[in-house]
Amino acid sequence: MRTCSIIFTLLFITTISAGAQKFITKTGHIRFYSDSPLEKIEANNRQVNCAFDLATGDFVFKVLMKSFEFEKALMQEHFNENYVESDKFPSATFIGKVTNFKDVNPSKDGIYDVNVEGRLTMHGVSKNISEKGTFEMKQGKLIGKAKFNIAVADYKITIPGNVGNNISKTIEVTVDLTLDKASM
Amino acid sequence: MWVKILLGMTAVGIIALFLVYKFVYNKQHPDFEKMEAAFTLNAQDLYQAFKSKPDASSAKYNGKVIALTGKLGRIETADSLVIAVFIFAKGDFGDEGIRCTMLPKFNDAAGKLQPDGEVMVKGYCTGYNETDVILEKCSIINQ
Repeated sequence: MRTCSIIFTLLFITTISAGAQKFITKTGHIRFYSDSPLEKIEANNRQVNCAFDLATGDFVFKVLMKSFEFEKALMQEHFNENYVESDKFPSATFIGKVTNFKDVNPSKDGIYDVNVEGRLTMHGVSKNISEKGTFEMKQGKLIGKAKFNIAVADYKITIPGNVGNNISKTIEVTVDLTLDKASM
Repeated sequence: MWVKILLGMTAVGIIALFLVYKFVYNKQHPDFEKMEAAFTLNAQDLYQAFKSKPDASSAKYNGKVIALTGKLGRIETADSLVIAVFIFAKGDFGDEGIRCTMLPKFNDAAGKLQPDGEVMVKGYCTGYNETDVILEKCSIINQ
């Protein structure tokens, strides 16, 4: 966690450049969705920290695993205790860059397709991610949306055999953020 | 005779399945409003504990119900969430401190809380995200 904290701080220091156009939120929404033949499982986290610097394209996400809420209490318990082991790995981070950030005009309302590349660290495992999403500039706010799939096995998350048919091996991740311009 | 035994065993099996479904598979989330706090702390002390010793504090407080007293910084709203914010520092994410997301039944009462007023809230600690300590399912104990 200490290493992660240093990376987090360094990223911010590098993003606070002169004239930086930094956008932040502490109430971003990430949704996990598993669609298996036996059960549909959904979890929502509405306490996601995200910062994005429009001057460099750099972004950082910080997600507390215990903040994911499930409809069923038992599934939430299993998620925290058995799958993501949130006592051992309390948070996930996604640090990266919007590669075509120069296409986004912050002074003009509109929707832009963006390419996102970064490193997602979850359950103590880091993997490179490359996905597409959209940015919408609307009345000075930046609305970021993306939807992608992650394989639980890639993050060494083991689903026990007795519930193997209840949980999909691939989880759909939906990101929905409304970022405000940071006042520096 | 065998028919009665078979019917009895079937009935016991159905009752057992129902109980497993109700109390295991479909058990309710904890009632955080009624749960007793594992810790009662000054809000600033909790924030400083996480900031100075994040790993030790995570091990101690994450997943626990905590009652906090302190001076309220402000109330935020985001979609359906109402968040009571205790502010102790200024960082790259703006104000930093403790963010307490209210249970929906306390949204109206939280919305009437006055900044700078002393308040006591109780909630479920989900951790420290390097800017804020997060408490969820919060209730107002007194104001």
